[in-house]
Amino acid sequence: MLRDAFLPSSPNLSGEPHCRRVERPVRYLAARWAPETLGRVAAALREGAAALREISAEDLLAAWGDTVATFLRPGSLERRALDPPLARLCGLSREGLKAGLDAVLGGVRREPAAALQAKAPRAAAEDAGPVLAVLASNLPGLAVQPLLPALILRRPVLLKSPSAEPLFAPAFLAALARREPRLAGAVAAATWQGGDIALEVPLLAAVGTVLAYGEPETLADLARRAPGKVIGYGPKTSLAVIGAGMDPHEAAEGLARDVALFDQRGCLSVVAVYTAGDAASLAERLAEALLDLARRWPPGPPARPVLAAVRHLRLEAEMRGLWQSSLPLRDGTVIVDPDLELRPSPGLRTVRIHPVADLARLPGILESWRGRLQGAALAGRDAWLMEPALRELGISRCAPPGELQSPDATWHNGGIDPLEALATSP
Amino acid sequence: MIVDRVTRFLTHPEAESFEELALAAFAWQLERIEPYRRLCEGRGATPETVGDWRRVPPVPAAAFKTMTLAAAPAVEVFRSSGTTGERRSVHHQPFPDLYGQVIDASFPRFCLPYAERLPILSLIPPREQLPDSSLSFMADHVLARYGGPESAVAFGPRGVEAAKARSWAGARQREGRPVLVLATAFALAQWLDALERLDLKFRLPAGTAVFETGGFKGKTTELTREALLVRVQSRLGVPPEFVVREYGMTELTSQCYTRTLLGGDPDLFIAPHWVRVRLLDPETLAEVPAGVPGLIAVFDLANLGSAVHLLTEDLGIAEGEGFRLLGRAAGAELRGCSLVVEELRGS
Repeated sequence: MLRDAFLPSSPNLSGEPHCRRVERPVRYLAARWAPETLGRVAAALREGAAALREISAEDLLAAWGDTVATFLRPGSLERRALDPPLARLCGLSREGLKAGLDAVLGGVRREPAAALQAKAPRAAAEDAGPVLAVLASNLPGLAVQPLLPALILRRPVLLKSPSAEPLFAPAFLAALARREPRLAGAVAAATWQGGDIALEVPLLAAVGTVLAYGEPETLADLARRAPGKVIGYGPKTSLAVIGAGMDPHEAAEGLARDVALFDQRGCLSVVAVYTAGDAASLAERLAEALLDLARRWPPGPPARPVLAAVRHLRLEAEMRGLWQSSLPLRDGTVIVDPDLELRPSPGLRTVRIHPVADLARLPGILESWRGRLQGAALAGRDAWLMEPALRELGISRCAPPGELQSPDATWHNGGIDPLEALATSP
Repeated sequence: MIVDRVTRFLTHPEAESFEELALAAFAWQLERIEPYRRLCEGRGATPETVGDWRRVPPVPAAAFKTMTLAAAPAVEVFRSSGTTGERRSVHHQPFPDLYGQVIDASFPRFCLPYAERLPILSLIPPREQLPDSSLSFMADHVLARYGGPESAVAFGPRGVEAAKARSWAGARQREGRPVLVLATAFALAQWLDALERLDLKFRLPAGTAVFETGGFKGKTTELTREALLVRVQSRLGVPPEFVVREYGMTELTSQCYTRTLLGGDPDLFIAPHWVRVRLLDPETLAEVPAGVPGLIAVFDLANLGSAVHLLTEDLGIAEGEGFRLLGRAAGAELRGCSLVVEELRGS
């Protein structure tokens, strides 16, 4: 049976923690945590650091690459056990989950992992302490992103899974530890309901660094309780810029992927397209491409509040007399909006196309979003010319349409170098 | 004129049928509000083709954030509170007198069933402070029309004036006469926090009621209604069966209330006779059966100035002669690989 925890192998943790069976929405064994147990996990991770430091770069990459390759194969034992509950917990279709895992895991395969390893001059200081990674639930498989750099720097890691999706991280760690047993004492995964201050006190005191994905309030709260230790990845959004001479058909196919992957829940999910070309034609092509993707990656079961928000957005566009696609509500929404203000999407593959004759206006248009933008899909020479200005606004990833949501391990998420973040104290 | 017919209908429901008035109001708005006409024409909905008020296309509440919906020149302009950076709804209200008459025709029935005038404490910002708040308009109107001479406002530029509210409650407790407290849930929680810090408990006279309206939108603090009711009883001595809830919003002119003071379900909102509430499937906009959650659509005859048929951003469930509130449509907030709010978040 699947479990929501993976504990470091340590004699001090035998028999702990106690588990209970969870039946809904999926079946698994859930660990019950007490402050002292979590404290012992952190202590065990510290002890496991020595064995972790003995692992050569080659051995680590071999185990890592093999584990990732296994999780990339939908027919593997691990994926066959994990996919149905994971799709359900993440609210994605099976095909959507597969596409999402392909994107996340594809970026940390052996080759990109080796590229990241090559950038790491040496292991972190021995007294740096374990890393606590607080994960979010909207992207399946996100655990690998903080895990890889921590292991490359030979820092033990505790992955705190979101309570909405507690299964991927322990399954991945178990597979990794089977391939490289010296890792087994230095990695852990656990989940508990956030906000339990008493539970978290010993843990936050014991770890050296906290990498946290969360809302600004969550990050601020953590920073208060673990001063000087927190590196936060707050909410951001992404857009696309399409140059004047681009073939709408070609651009649309990639854009549809950037909109639809993860059902538009990621920080690299495109929510707005600024085009110097024919907006109406691009919108029509994009709607066709989204419809095609809805067949290949059917959207997950939509939440009623999201359906409601998109319904509002469509009616409002109707009242403004804007062109909009006639796709079923679940499959996506494309609106051509001459108002150039960037507006976030409520989800369900909803995107606005803004015609803008002069792309040089973009920095001004996006100025109010400074620091809250993550990526830009760029197509056409005039669009790529905007890259420096977009990066100056805080955009950390620029890529051609279709590739935006597939960063590799060397990506500086939110402008933060993944190795530098863990090599030194925050 | 249609506004006179609606005004008369508030107090004389036998004068006309809701159906007739609804269709007349639809035709009136269609003629005067361009964006609405665009919506209706796109759907082939005209006075000639629509013979049932349920078929009148609803206006999404979100439209109040991006366009002007005004059937006549505005006399008052109301704006929703909203969070930083979020667009606010703007309601151009050409008929503030009608708004006042709506309050008179509904508020006493639900909130003052036993008294004409009584001491009222308001924890809602007065109009002087928030001239563009429809709730402040309502609170000022209620205070002026139904408040006794001891009535007071305990909300200043910095929020709830806890000390003023405290001494007011102390004085009324000594007098032994029932009172009414008007508050948003958020303001009420603030006052209760202050009382808890001082470990103060009042026993407001029997018959005292609390009027509570939604006030958590955009606030970071979350509080369950159950917890609020427990604290109201413990700190003010007002039992849950004396707490009336109101359901209203900037985009509407009328309000729905719980019939708590008349022995009704404390969470079931009841619409006055000039308002019809239905629950719609967000995907198809078809009416959902009772017991199935849907988007709340309100047909408010008094909302003549902007949108008589409004599709709110609230989710609810129909039950008996009323409806329960379940939550709100998803906001268009940033996603950013950080959807989960609760993770490792303290108090």
